[in-house]
Amino acid sequence: MARAWFERRERGSRWGLRVARVLALRFGRRAGRAVLWPITAYFFCFHPEGRAGLRRYYEALEGRRPTLGTLFAHYLTFARTVLDRAYLLARHRDAPRYEIRGFEAVGRYLDEGQGVIVLGAHLGSFEAARAAAFLRPQLKVQVIMHAGVSPKLNETLMALNPDAQESVAPLGGPTSLLAIKEFLAQGGLVGLMGDRALADEATYAADFLGREAHFPSGPLRLAAALRAPVFFFSALYRGPVEGVCRYELVFEPLCGPAPGTGARGEWMRQLGERYVRTLQAYCRLAPDNWFNFYDFWQAQSGDRPRRRPARDGDDAAGVCGGSPMDRPGTPKDLGTRGKS
Amino acid sequence: MNSEQTDFEREIAQLLVSSLNLALDPDSIDPKAPLFREGLGLDSIDMLEIALAISQHYGIQLRSDDPENATIFASLRALSAAIAARKA
Repeated sequence: MARAWFERRERGSRWGLRVARVLALRFGRRAGRAVLWPITAYFFCFHPEGRAGLRRYYEALEGRRPTLGTLFAHYLTFARTVLDRAYLLARHRDAPRYEIRGFEAVGRYLDEGQGVIVLGAHLGSFEAARAAAFLRPQLKVQVIMHAGVSPKLNETLMALNPDAQESVAPLGGPTSLLAIKEFLAQGGLVGLMGDRALADEATYAADFLGREAHFPSGPLRLAAALRAPVFFFSALYRGPVEGVCRYELVFEPLCGPAPGTGARGEWMRQLGERYVRTLQAYCRLAPDNWFNFYDFWQAQSGDRPRRRPARDGDDAAGVCGGSPMDRPGTPKDLGTRGKS
Repeated sequence: MNSEQTDFEREIAQLLVSSLNLALDPDSIDPKAPLFREGLGLDSIDMLEIALAISQHYGIQLRSDDPENATIFASLRALSAAIAARKA
């Protein structure tokens, strides 16, 4: 299963993205929209593994086999979010509109100068996290990801707005994370992805939509080491209103800062549990925002190598406090939209 | 008892094991072995934890823009020497 998703993401042809970009930015949203259909149709037809992966997702979510129409609509949603990233990064007049939920709790930390970690997923448009930078004039946002993933897409986005890449921090040398820690100490917002695991990454198992799935442990360990409060984050695509795309930026508190010693293991366990539960709830709310086009349950299972030395697991319990959340993982009603 | 470790290196070794929750005897850490990746097999998240533990215990702030970072975190010996030099 190695780097299955990694390779799949590379399918997007540079040519197609370039055409979409030029059409979309030169001739506006309607032209961009028109070109989405053939591109989506191409991927839909020649991407059988993606369709199979999505089918498993819908079977887990709804307990029945999805129709071809559901799957095609799902692909179309993904294509729209890619196009919207182009508008967003180019600061185009057709850039999407945002509605923001749950940012108040994040803001309270920021008011005190405390940086915040947002743990996202390939649910909705994570890149729209940049829009969070507009939430406050001085808010700095940094996204940490596995560098080098999907270079083609990144190249295209780079061409649109060279500034955009500055805030994507790769994980590299032994002290690369000290800079992230300092960034948080200055009241920055750090974005992490918590759903996809690379082939050699340690994972934890969790029940996800009724089946056991494996999620990467790295983001939880990193969040613990950074000692900052953690929020679930997603920018959900919620369909066009009067021709303009609408996203809902949702923030859900997961855990307060990790304890300094000993009990970190239990803190991470609780964070993982709350993260997966919250992710699941938002999948139910906006099913077509799931952008892992592969068999999520199968791809990240199996024996994983242990590169790191063994840890003692006997930590104290009940330390993931500081979360003001009443019902973890239960998103509030996010308003209405067509099919959900 | 690892005769190759000095007393201070042993103290730092104990700090590493306790702060990273390693299932490892502190005395068994080779002071010259690399900490990062090969050797002790630690990753950049572990390094961050180590930096925090050091600042907590010795009041030494390790910063990302320190030009000596590459050598400070090279081995238990290098780390111990850097702490000893800075806390003095």
